[in-house]
Amino acid sequence: MATYKEAPLATRPKTLDPAEYFNLSPDYRRAEEKRAALRAQLKRQYLQQLNNPHRKELIEDPALTRWTYARTNNNYFRPTAKTSLIGGLFGVLPLFVLYVVFKTDRVS
Amino acid sequence: MLKVLIPTIMLFPTIWLTSPKWLWTTTTAHSLLIASISLMWLKWTSEAGWTSSNTYLATDPLSTPLLVLTCWLLPLMILASQNHINPEPINRQRSYITLLASLQTFLIMAFGATEIIMFYIMFEATLIPTLIIITRWGNQAERLNAGTYFLFYTLAGSLPLLVALLLLQQSTGTLSMLVLQYSQPLQLNSWGHMIWWAGCLIAFLVKMPLYGVHLWLPKAHVEAPVAGSMVLAAVLLKLGGYGMMRMMIMLDPLSKELAYPFIILALWGIIMTGSICLRQTDLKSLIAYSSVSHMGLVAAGILIQTPWGFSGAIILMIAHGLVSSALFCLANTAYERTHSRTMMLARGLQMIFPLTAMWWFTANLANLALPPLPNLMGELMIITTLFNWSPWTILLTGLGTLITAGYSLYMFLMTQRGPTPNHIMGLQPFHTREHLLMALHLIPVILLVAKPELMWGWCY
Repeated sequence: MATYKEAPLATRPKTLDPAEYFNLSPDYRRAEEKRAALRAQLKRQYLQQLNNPHRKELIEDPALTRWTYARTNNNYFRPTAKTSLIGGLFGVLPLFVLYVVFKTDRVS
Repeated sequence: MLKVLIPTIMLFPTIWLTSPKWLWTTTTAHSLLIASISLMWLKWTSEAGWTSSNTYLATDPLSTPLLVLTCWLLPLMILASQNHINPEPINRQRSYITLLASLQTFLIMAFGATEIIMFYIMFEATLIPTLIIITRWGNQAERLNAGTYFLFYTLAGSLPLLVALLLLQQSTGTLSMLVLQYSQPLQLNSWGHMIWWAGCLIAFLVKMPLYGVHLWLPKAHVEAPVAGSMVLAAVLLKLGGYGMMRMMIMLDPLSKELAYPFIILALWGIIMTGSICLRQTDLKSLIAYSSVSHMGLVAAGILIQTPWGFSGAIILMIAHGLVSSALFCLANTAYERTHSRTMMLARGLQMIFPLTAMWWFTANLANLALPPLPNLMGELMIITTLFNWSPWTILLTGLGTLITAGYSLYMFLMTQRGPTPNHIMGLQPFHTREHLLMALHLIPVILLVAKPELMWGWCY
């Protein structure tokens, strides 16, 4: 284990990083253990759902839920200079341009 | 007229007195009988103009197709709602069907009204059952927001109409459409008259909806349960178009000048909402925006006041009503199975539901106005008359047709083709009821290819 070298473009996994073992305070180690326990619980819950033979529906993915909410609700729109410019260019200017075009075409 | 109205009112005792075992069967059968009686309206006894037995409720070639569509839609709505309402207590089920039946009654009276004020009252009255359906039986928390937007947009648009109608009554002494069609063109030359003109039309433009005031529609369509979406898309939007066509008769000659902004909004709206459709992740939202796009074309066709424009508008309204309602039913079948409206989650359906893939295909082809379906007929008539109005509109309408084809095919390919995700493999197969629903939607569209004269309105 002491002669482990990672692959050229890969990163060393956290559990094999020597700095993990030597310079850590006990508080940090306790926190890391708690986080690892939570991760293991989540993974266990997911694997239980995944391997349940009677499961018929989709496993709920909070990332997907967040993504659909973000896409469908426009609460993330902020009127900045750039968005106002785009809005004006595509939403307001064409109306006036078209008015001028149609008016001149029909009157002449 | 009463031959259909009285059975529709008798639907209420039917709903409340039937035993729970037979509720859905009886109401579906009753509403189907009403629908078949309504088909007799298609035989016009007078050569042109109104057919009526009294002066208060009459049908004419403009309102007849819309009336038949309304009556046809009630059994379809009841069929579509059967599954998702079933778990509820029996009285709540009865209330739901009562709301649908009351909507039907108001709509029949609205389309058959000869007095414009009765049309206005029924126009407003349809808001209430729809609001209750959306806010009580919708599925997500956003339904409250949707109901609020729906109610207040439409109300705010239609209050000026009330004032305008009262002014019209004051100046002409009558509000009967039978009489007003023969009145002299009014002298409309002051700012007050222009505001009156706008007041007459804004209610219907909000209802249609016109592009700038369309914000209520995606919310309402998405959050409504399937019957609510069906009736909204198929009939309530057409109330706006019908109202506009009725009011246009007396709004000349100011319309020549004042209609420009609205025609431009409608045409630009076709392209903008079509482009929004291409970026949607929510299936019902896509269908809702496509409704705005098609109705923009209808609005433009009505506002230029040519015979072909009016005919094209009615044809497109009927065809779009049937097809849009069919698409909402299909979206609902996907929703009932996966409990999600996200398109990405219901991919590759063709592999597991091959017959339904045919319905999806036909409905999407109808949406993109494939010949020989009446959607194309309506769109072509409107595009042609717009071209006559000003050749530059062909840029907008042509691009709009292209984008419509784009998002319709996108919807089809996204839901039907592609890899089938694992969680979809175990979905319930399609019920016969759902196939029947789709058939009853799409067969009239196909049959109308053979006799489009039924829909042409006054220009037949």
